[in-house]
Amino acid sequence: MLHFSKWKVLGIVLVLVWGALLAFPNAVSNGFLGVKPDTPISQSADDLAKFRAQQEAAEGAWWPGFLPENKVNLGLDLQGGVYLLIEFAEDEVVANRMEIARRDVTEALAARGGRPAIFSTREPNEDTGQLEIRLKTPAELREAMRRLDDANPPVEGTISGAKTFDIEDRGGGLITMDMTTASRDALVSDSQGKIIEIIRRRIDPDGVKEISIQPQGENRIVLEAPGVDDPKTLTRPLEEAGRMTFNIVDSSETGLTAALNGLVRPGYKLVEDSQGFPYLINVSPIVTGSDIATANPGFDAQDNSRTVDFRLSGSGAKRFGDATVKYIDRQFAIVLDDLVMSAPVIREPIYGGSVQISGGGFTEERARELAAIIEAGELPAKLEVIQERTVTASLGEDSIRAGTAASIIGLILVAVFMILAYSRLGIFAVGSLMINIILILGALSGIGATLTLPGIAGIILTIGMAVDANVLVFERVREETRAGRGAMTAVQAGYEKALGTILDANITTFIAAAILYVLGSGPVSGFAVTLAIGIVTSVFTAFVVTRWFTSIWLHWAKPKKLKL
Amino acid sequence: MFMKYVPDTSNFGFMKLRFPSFAMSCIGIVLSIFLIMTQGLNLGIDFRGGSVIETTKPDNVQIEDVRAKLSGLNLGEVLINEARGTGVEDTTILVVRIATQDAPPDEIEAAQQAATELVKATLLEAYPATATSPGLEIKSSASIGPKVSGELFRTGITALIVALTLMLLYIAARFAWQFSLGAVAALTHDVILTIGVFSGLQLEFNLTTIAALLTIIGYSMNDTVVVFDRVREESRRYKQMPNRELVDFALNGTLSRTLLTSVTTLLALLAIFILGGPVLRGMSFALIWGVIVGTYSSIFVASSLLLALPDDWRHGKKKAEDVVGFQGAD
Repeated sequence: MLHFSKWKVLGIVLVLVWGALLAFPNAVSNGFLGVKPDTPISQSADDLAKFRAQQEAAEGAWWPGFLPENKVNLGLDLQGGVYLLIEFAEDEVVANRMEIARRDVTEALAARGGRPAIFSTREPNEDTGQLEIRLKTPAELREAMRRLDDANPPVEGTISGAKTFDIEDRGGGLITMDMTTASRDALVSDSQGKIIEIIRRRIDPDGVKEISIQPQGENRIVLEAPGVDDPKTLTRPLEEAGRMTFNIVDSSETGLTAALNGLVRPGYKLVEDSQGFPYLINVSPIVTGSDIATANPGFDAQDNSRTVDFRLSGSGAKRFGDATVKYIDRQFAIVLDDLVMSAPVIREPIYGGSVQISGGGFTEERARELAAIIEAGELPAKLEVIQERTVTASLGEDSIRAGTAASIIGLILVAVFMILAYSRLGIFAVGSLMINIILILGALSGIGATLTLPGIAGIILTIGMAVDANVLVFERVREETRAGRGAMTAVQAGYEKALGTILDANITTFIAAAILYVLGSGPVSGFAVTLAIGIVTSVFTAFVVTRWFTSIWLHWAKPKKLKL
Repeated sequence: MFMKYVPDTSNFGFMKLRFPSFAMSCIGIVLSIFLIMTQGLNLGIDFRGGSVIETTKPDNVQIEDVRAKLSGLNLGEVLINEARGTGVEDTTILVVRIATQDAPPDEIEAAQQAATELVKATLLEAYPATATSPGLEIKSSASIGPKVSGELFRTGITALIVALTLMLLYIAARFAWQFSLGAVAALTHDVILTIGVFSGLQLEFNLTTIAALLTIIGYSMNDTVVVFDRVREESRRYKQMPNRELVDFALNGTLSRTLLTSVTTLLALLAIFILGGPVLRGMSFALIWGVIVGTYSSIFVASSLLLALPDDWRHGKKKAEDVVGFQGAD
């Protein structure tokens, strides 16, 4: 146990050097490492000056690129920022899909080839969400099933070839239609991806901010924005559905008056603008949000007001152009989530697809936000923030300072105690404890784990518990020494006898840490990660590194008996 | 020079104390359960839902004044407390807690967000920076809807049960079932007593407390395994030694290690408790308590139970009538 072959020594040294290299970037500035700074979120002069200084420092760095340059990722509780857990309603996504299915059914069962329509009603059941189709006569069941089957494509992207809908004959001319589990799952997961993309484009339209947006479970999304102090700047752009349409307005006096009295013309709808002025609009839009290619905040030089300018895509521009020819001299409304943003009169045909919303009295910020919302498109479901945590950068700094102070004091206390207890062997143990901390930092940086405040607590706890393996060995060595063994054999026997216990004891703690990691979230799993890494590194340092130190000393000093 | 914290050859009759300690543990457990039933737990927003906002407290801000301003908002139960802030310097912070809002189920989450924002805006407006005061600043805020808090609670409880079960299986595989039962009894004892203290002192019980409980389970298990390992080892060496003496012998053999490790762990935890700030205070308190209880339980609960169970784990031990007198095998 005390003989270390050249290869073993080489292995130990390699691990130690590698760990130290991985940990090293934490001790120096990014400029030293040649890491370019991130673009600052705020455009203030101070931040920009800092940014340039960091950039210059990074360019002049000599640290070679092949060496590690990653620091430990700090959790939001240490660097400050906003954490949001967002949920969308699966049922709403499914209901929207069923609405499209209803339209498809209408078309499939409509009059065809001289045959009249074969259904009488096709309405969703309010409780189950199923579409209930009633046929005019039960005799047409076969024909209806054949046509519905044609309108029932397999789920995209699945190998099993599962169909989109379950279509069932309930007897008596009643057919029910519902989404299959496979198509429902595919739809929800598809929506989750879409929503993530829309959220990103709404809150970070230029793609410069360091914001992480990740799926969680089936219908949740985790958003983490370091450096943001006010969660409102993130949640406000998510409140709007973003359903953008251009609709022709019925500006006739009679139509509007009748609608205001509760008699809305079929195919029309009453909406208002932000001042509460009513408009009667045609429900089928000329173009929708999906026809918009780009949207940008703009400026109207004539009256110094903010505008939102956008361009329609090729097909959208064509449809809009044709409509402007057809409806010349009539008014159309640009409607966002049932609110009229602007209602200009078409003076001349507009081709080219350039449209502007003006006169909305927007602030610069609102114009930018609107542009991002319009360009990102409509959310497939309403979003709900179900958990929010915000920590300001100054509190984060305080926490880092507190954690560092606690670690240093804890380390000193443990070191003094160990040296008092075991003298020379104690010094070896403290030395390997220091190495242990460097290895933990190196491992955290190397695997890109996130260090949280409870994570720091995990490291300090490891400092206290890491000596356990050493203590187990030293106590055995003490016993062997008392039994009259010489230094070399006592140490040898101590390590041999303690190994099983050390492994058993640490595997149980590791089980606890692993459960914490799997089931915990955020800061708690940060604690679990440091605890687990700490267990592995402390077994290594106590059992291998301290043993190596001790063996070097024993071979060099050749004491006959240990004083313990 | 160095010190010895424990004499070389301690020969303490731990197991003589197993009945008084059993009574003590029982009283502790009954008291804990009684407290949990009557007083309940002071659940944090992780498990109960609601919001917490922490702000700085400039000298010109009076807590009564803050209470008066926020009670006018009509947000249901709003609690305002002072606390010692994070950091080495002695600072005071204000902690505002808003209970889950009363709203239809679909709208609670949004109402909670709105209430949090309203309180923040009200505070910032009421205490702006002036020539004489830096003004109140928001340090952190969190709001958790009832959906998430319910899930977090269930996950926390699941984690504890899974951990205990895995420990049971691991020990049963590595040792015999008697050891496994003893160890898990000790762990359950530690968990109940810790939750009891949180109930008795009405400390906030949140996600980090669950993390602390799991760590306590790990630590206490660690301690128990060391003792059991020694019991098994000595039982192979001293085949004739009676069970009680064997356990005492093993406990004394590991006593020095048990105390040393407990003390170093406690020293490190004490540093977190004093310097780590409010977030870590509850967690480090739980861990300090857990290390003490865990050390006690691995000696008295786990080992006592092992003695009380059938001793068929002692392979090769001669039946009592065959043993003329105790003789060490070495």
